[in-house]
Amino acid sequence: MLQRKSNIFLWCVAANILVLTLLFTHAYIEQKKVLPSLVQRINMVNDLQLTDLSLFTDARYTRHPSMADLNTAFQDHPLSLEHFPSGTFIAPPRHLMRNGLD
Amino acid sequence: MIELHGVTKIFNKGNTNEFLAVDDVSLTIDPLRITVLKGPSGSGKTTVLSIIGAMTKPTEGRVYIHGREITSLPERFLTEIRRKTFGFIFQQFNLIKGITALENVMIPSYPAGEKHSSLKDRAMRLLEVLNLSGKATSKIEWLSGGEAQRVAIARALINNPEVIIADEPTAHLDTRLSQEFIEAMAALKEKGKTVLIASHDPLIYSSPVVERVVELRDGRVVLEGSHQ
Amino acid sequence: MVWIEKQRNILDFALSSLLRRWGKNLALVIVYTLIVFILASIFFLSHSIKKEASIVLQGSPEVVVQRVIAGRHELILERYMDDIRKIPGVLAVKGRLWGYYFEPATGANYTVVVTDASREKAGSITIGAGVARVAGVQKEDTMPFKSSDGTYTTLEVADIFSHESELISSDLVEISEEDFRKLFSIPEGSFTDMTLRVRNKNELNVVADKIRRYLPDTRPILRDEILRTYEAIFDWRGGLLVVIFTGAILAFAIFAWDKASSLSFEEKREIGILKAVGWETSEVITMKSCEGIIISLSAFLLGVILAYIHVFFGSFFFFTFVLKGWSVLYPRFTLIPYVDPYQICALFFLTVAPYTAATIIPSWRAATIDPDSVMRL
Repeated sequence: MLQRKSNIFLWCVAANILVLTLLFTHAYIEQKKVLPSLVQRINMVNDLQLTDLSLFTDARYTRHPSMADLNTAFQDHPLSLEHFPSGTFIAPPRHLMRNGLD
Repeated sequence: MIELHGVTKIFNKGNTNEFLAVDDVSLTIDPLRITVLKGPSGSGKTTVLSIIGAMTKPTEGRVYIHGREITSLPERFLTEIRRKTFGFIFQQFNLIKGITALENVMIPSYPAGEKHSSLKDRAMRLLEVLNLSGKATSKIEWLSGGEAQRVAIARALINNPEVIIADEPTAHLDTRLSQEFIEAMAALKEKGKTVLIASHDPLIYSSPVVERVVELRDGRVVLEGSHQ
Repeated sequence: MVWIEKQRNILDFALSSLLRRWGKNLALVIVYTLIVFILASIFFLSHSIKKEASIVLQGSPEVVVQRVIAGRHELILERYMDDIRKIPGVLAVKGRLWGYYFEPATGANYTVVVTDASREKAGSITIGAGVARVAGVQKEDTMPFKSSDGTYTTLEVADIFSHESELISSDLVEISEEDFRKLFSIPEGSFTDMTLRVRNKNELNVVADKIRRYLPDTRPILRDEILRTYEAIFDWRGGLLVVIFTGAILAFAIFAWDKASSLSFEEKREIGILKAVGWETSEVITMKSCEGIIISLSAFLLGVILAYIHVFFGSFFFFTFVLKGWSVLYPRFTLIPYVDPYQICALFFLTVAPYTAATIIPSWRAATIDPDSVMRL
């Protein structure tokens, strides 16, 4: 006679939770391990005076969103629709929304 | 041991399809006997069984089991009494499709929280007694009519109840199986159980095994008699 | 003990119940898992990138001052730097030279930048690993660059930035000042923008104010603002993500509605039988909610595990084409596994709670019927 169904299910759930715990432990360990290379990157950003991640290289305002001015996203015309897919991921930086002088 | 005092049941009270199923029935069911409720369909037999077995509450009147009044009990206690006192065999068997005979037999005992292995053993033994051990792990759909009936009997017995209630048990059975059924009931009575059957099948109510017949018509008791 | 056995019994029955329609329920679990997988992957990916940005960009300049004319970015003049140096509290002011170079042969955009290290090294460049890939060059190779006056300059690749730094350096071309000015025809005394440090961090806003007042056509950007830009990427209000999240919520709603709308005749009959053989209403409802929990919990656990593996071990394989967009040059990097527990908890509740509630709702009514009606079926 086979194992009781609820036993099988509960073991599966337990196994999954165990795997999940292991994965999150892995995350914790990795975070600690990677600290030196993070520091290296901070220094590099400092030395090269960088301001943005090199994530989306398709457009100027997606490559340097923190430096973007209000214009470039509109490209040629104010009614111009979003050209670049990566533009759909990036919200305009909050400091652009401010009204100039305070 | 089971007493009905002036029991009335009206379905859909207050609506246009109001229906008087049982009308002022007073009845006593003796323990350790086989009693048959006889009458045509619509006579209220099923409703009386239902009320006796604490499946529904009467609109008026009282029901006593072992001298204890059950009509005013809340659902929780009623369910427990029903589970411990009665075992039901339905007209359509009402077994759960898609699961095995063994599991069907065990289901009424699930809420009791008994140790699984002992429950399983008890269920297997019941199936053995009814010559069904080979079919224990078969799904219900694969059983014949007679086998399904025996599974229904086994299920009714799993909680070791005092009273077996059967509603038109032979409605879908041939003569041979009907005979087997009444013999099974006789055997249960010998083992110290009380049996209550609702049937309009002459094979049942005329059987020498039956000790008392109560005749119902239009929701009322018409005749009470006993054989032997 | 009795209570535990009872719950296990109920769980047994719920599993039997689900296995009876195993095809349909398996399909349900698969689709549900897929949705959780997509959502969890997005959570892991976005949180990780945001976290890394918030750490790594700590090294960015304290203040960047841009010149803005008619809403557009304009070159800033040396004399502006002199003006800013006069503001009390301002330490080093440096001019930055950087810009974009479009390589028509490949369609790639490079970010060309002059740094302290490269300023004097005319004729040589250090390039990012992404540039090396796209241009197909190695150390000591040369690369031609077309200036704005149409002439070509050849520059030698002195070094390539490390792979670990791809997230910040992948598309960089680090160049000398002389070469930069020649390439983009930027005259002496002009800069792309300028960076400065302040003596006292608390004075940042005051200094920024003063800059805006003395040089009204400039716009100072503070490091804080740079960092906050990256808090907003992959924001749920962003176009593509709104679509995905709306789709996911709709899917959850449809599943739940399907469950909640009604029970099949078969299911109603089963509930009646359970009641008739002695199950209480609460036990029937527990059983039904078990059905819901089994499916949604399985989907949640599987989805999250697969998402974690997908994003952190599998380099978010399924999303790469989405992230690339129209970029020709894109960084190859492994994400640091940062997990936001709030997101995971929220996902858990979104996955399990509505679905389980939806299984209970129709069952409630069926479970409270008189078992008597089963006699008449």
